[in-house]
Amino acid sequence: MRRYYVGLVAGLLAIVVAYWLVMTFVENPEIQNLPYYTFRTLLRIAITLGISVAWGVPFGILASTNKTASIILVPFIDLLQSIPILGYFPAVLIIFVSLFQGSELAIELSAILLLFTSMAWAIFFGVVGAVKGIPVNVIESAQSFGLKGFKYVRHVILPAIVPALVSGATLAWCDGWFFMIAAEYIEYAGATYWVPGLGSFLAKTAYVYGDISLSAILLILITAIVFYINFLTWHRLMERATAGTYKPVLKLDLSGVGQLGVIRAIGHSRWLHIGDRIHRPKSLILASQRLRKYTRLEKAIALMLTLSLAFLIVYLTAAQINLDIIEQGFSRPPADELANLPRYVALTMGRLGIAYVISLGVALGTGILAAEHKKFAAIFYPIYDIGQAVPILALFPVLFITLSRTFGGVIGLEITSIVMLILDMIWYMFLNIVSAVRNIPSEIREVGKLFGFKGLKRITHIVIPSILPAIVTGSILSWGTGWNTIIFSEYMPYGESIIYLPGLGSYLDKAGYIYGNTILLIFLLAIIATIVLLMETLVWRRLLRKFEKYHAEV
Amino acid sequence: MLEVRDVTKTFLLEKSKLTVLEDVSFSVDRDEFVCLVGPSGCGKSTLLRIIAGLERTDSGKVLFHGQPQTSPTPKITMIFQLFGLLPWKTAIENVEIPLEVLGIKKEARLEIAKSHLRMVGLEGFEDTYPHDLSGGMKQRVGIARALALQPEVLLMDEPFSSLDELTAKTLRSLVLDIWRDPTLPTNTFVMVSHNVEEAVFLADRVIVMSPRPGKIIGEVKVDIPRPRGDYLRDTIYFKCVDEVVAVLEGSVK
Repeated sequence: MRRYYVGLVAGLLAIVVAYWLVMTFVENPEIQNLPYYTFRTLLRIAITLGISVAWGVPFGILASTNKTASIILVPFIDLLQSIPILGYFPAVLIIFVSLFQGSELAIELSAILLLFTSMAWAIFFGVVGAVKGIPVNVIESAQSFGLKGFKYVRHVILPAIVPALVSGATLAWCDGWFFMIAAEYIEYAGATYWVPGLGSFLAKTAYVYGDISLSAILLILITAIVFYINFLTWHRLMERATAGTYKPVLKLDLSGVGQLGVIRAIGHSRWLHIGDRIHRPKSLILASQRLRKYTRLEKAIALMLTLSLAFLIVYLTAAQINLDIIEQGFSRPPADELANLPRYVALTMGRLGIAYVISLGVALGTGILAAEHKKFAAIFYPIYDIGQAVPILALFPVLFITLSRTFGGVIGLEITSIVMLILDMIWYMFLNIVSAVRNIPSEIREVGKLFGFKGLKRITHIVIPSILPAIVTGSILSWGTGWNTIIFSEYMPYGESIIYLPGLGSYLDKAGYIYGNTILLIFLLAIIATIVLLMETLVWRRLLRKFEKYHAEV
Repeated sequence: MLEVRDVTKTFLLEKSKLTVLEDVSFSVDRDEFVCLVGPSGCGKSTLLRIIAGLERTDSGKVLFHGQPQTSPTPKITMIFQLFGLLPWKTAIENVEIPLEVLGIKKEARLEIAKSHLRMVGLEGFEDTYPHDLSGGMKQRVGIARALALQPEVLLMDEPFSSLDELTAKTLRSLVLDIWRDPTLPTNTFVMVSHNVEEAVFLADRVIVMSPRPGKIIGEVKVDIPRPRGDYLRDTIYFKCVDEVVAVLEGSVK
C-alpha cells in the first residue's frame, strides 16, 4: 500500500518536473499552453468516458435482460462498431458545424462524439457479457427469494458488472487516447479543424512547426501520462474489482502480462473488425449454428438469395435517395483513380502482409521467451506495458519526420507506414501468444519434459502446436487493427505538399478528407469490409476450424 | 530398485510457503506393484512427479538402482490422469514421438508403435486423432506410449479416475496383464490413487499418506492371492480395504 502511494506521488512529481522543464527550455509559441492542453485532453476523454458509462450501463443491462431489446440493440450496435469512424465522421462534423454555426462547441462536440464512438462499445459489450455471465443458480436463487425489478438490478446485476465496468472503462480510456489525435485534428474537404488539446498540439508541432524534437518530447510526455494513469489507477482498480467474480472478466489470461495490454487488445478489435470473436452478437452465432445444419448447396442457395435481397434493398434505397448522387460520387474526383483500385488493394495488402509477418515472427520469439522464462518476462513485460501505452497515431508524425530526413519523403513514409503497422499489430500477437503459452495444459508440458523434448524439438512439437489457435485469433485481431491503421498511415503532410503512398488507405483519405466524396468513401469502406470478411472466411475461419481439434479436451 | 529417501517439497506461493511433502521415505522392489493412497492435496501426485524427474525435491532424494534420479529417463515413464496425449498428433504419432526424441529410425519406431498399439487393443485406430477417441482409448494410447520406451518402472497418476467404472475395470485388468507379462521389461509399477478399493485390488502394498503436509502414515500389505477378481466379494478383500480406510481415517481425525 505504501509503495503504491509513493509511486503515485513520485509519478506525479516526475510528470510535473518534466512539464516544467519542457515549458522552460523548449521554444514554441504555444508551449505555455501545454498544461491547458493536457487538461483539455484529459477532461475530454474523461467526459466521454462518463457519457459512455452513462449510456453503456443502462443499455447494456437492457440488452442483456430484455429479449426484445437485445434483438434490436445488439446487432445494431455491432454494426455501428464495425463501421470505421472515418466513414461517418465527416458527415457528423458537417452536421454539428452547421447546427452551431461553426462555433468551437461544434468541433468540441464532434471530437467528443468521435471519441464516444471509439470508447462506448467496450463498456456496452462488457456489461452485456457480465450480465450474461451471471450463473443460472445465482439468478434462480435471487428469483426464489423474490428479488425483482430495481432490487434485482441493485443486488444481483450491479455487483456482477462492476469488474466488467472497470475493465470496459479501462479499455475505453485506452481507446480514447488512441483516437485522441484523430479526434483533435480533423481535416475535411480541404479545411482543418483543431480542438485544443495534446493531440492537436502534437499534430501541429509535427505538421505545422515541423519541430521533431518537440514532437518526440510531447510523445514521451503523453506516453508517460497514459502509463501513469493506467498503471496507478486502472491497474489497481482492476486488481480490486476482479476479486470475487464469477468468471474471468476477460477471456484472455490476465495473469502476469501487463494487464492493460489485454484490455487494449480487446478494445482494438472493435474497429473495422467485422467477425469479432469477442463481441460477436448472439443472433449471429445462432444464425451460423442454424446454417451449419444445411448442406453446401442449400447454403449456397441461401447465400445467393440473401445477397440478391441485399442488392435489391441497396438498389431500391439508392433509387429512392437519388441515383444522381451515386453517379456523381463515381464521376467526381478522386473517382478517376478507380482504375488503380486493384493496384491500391495489392499495395496495401502487401504492406499489411510484411508488417504481419514481421510482427508474427517477433511476437513468437519474444512471446514464447517471456512466457517461459522469468528473466525474459522481466525484460519484455515492461517494454510491452510502455509500448502499448504509446498512442500510435501520435507516434506517426514523429516517426515520419525522423525517417523522412534520412530516406526522403516517400521511402520514409513507406517505412513509417510499415513500422506503424507492426507497432499496431504486434501487441495482439504478443499478448495472445504469451497467454496461450502460459495456458498450455500442465500435462502436455509434463509429457514434453518426461519424454525428453528439448530446445527446438520442444518448440515445434509441443509449444507451437499448442498455441496455433491463439496465433490465428491473434492474427485476426492484428489484421483488423492493421486495416484501421492503414487509413491513417498512407498519407502525410510534408512541408508544403502532401505525400501519398499509393494504396487503399490513402485513396480513402483522398475521398473522405480532401474531396469530401462520401459516396466513394462508402464504396471504399465496403471494399475494405469485403476484404476483411473474405480473409476471415477463406483464411482464418478455416484455419481455426482445422485447429479446433487441438482445443478439444484430451 | 527405487528408493525415496526423506523427500521434502515446498511450493512457494505468492506470500506463503506450502509444504506438500515432509520426510517421505519408502522403497519399491523389482516386480512390485505399489499404490500410494491419500486424501486430495496430500502431495501424492507431486511425489510421483519427483520420482519421474519432473519436479525437484527441496531435500532428500530419489534413488533408482542406487543412483540419484533427478531428471526424466526413458527407464521410468508415466501415464497421466488426463492422458497427456498431444491433440495434434494421431494415436500412432503420439506413441512414436518419444521414440523419435530417443533417435530411433523412422521404420523401427513405426514398428514399435504399431505393435504397442496392438498390444493395448487399438489396432485399426493408428491414424485417429485423440479427440475422436473415447477416454478409455485415450488412456490405452497413453499406456502404449509409456510402454513403447520399454521402461523398467511405470508410474501411474490416478490413471482411471477420469474414466467410467466399466472402462476403468477393463483397463485395470489390462494393466495387471502388462505387469505380469514376463516378456515385457516393465514390471515395477507405482500408482497414485484415491480409490482404496482400486488400490487393494491392484497393489502388493498400499502406502497411506496423510493430508498436507503429506507424510507416510501407514502401509498395508495386500496378501490376497491373484487373480483377485475371484476375491472381490470375499471378507479377505474387505478386511484389507477396511484396514487402509482405518489408517486414512486415523489421519483425518
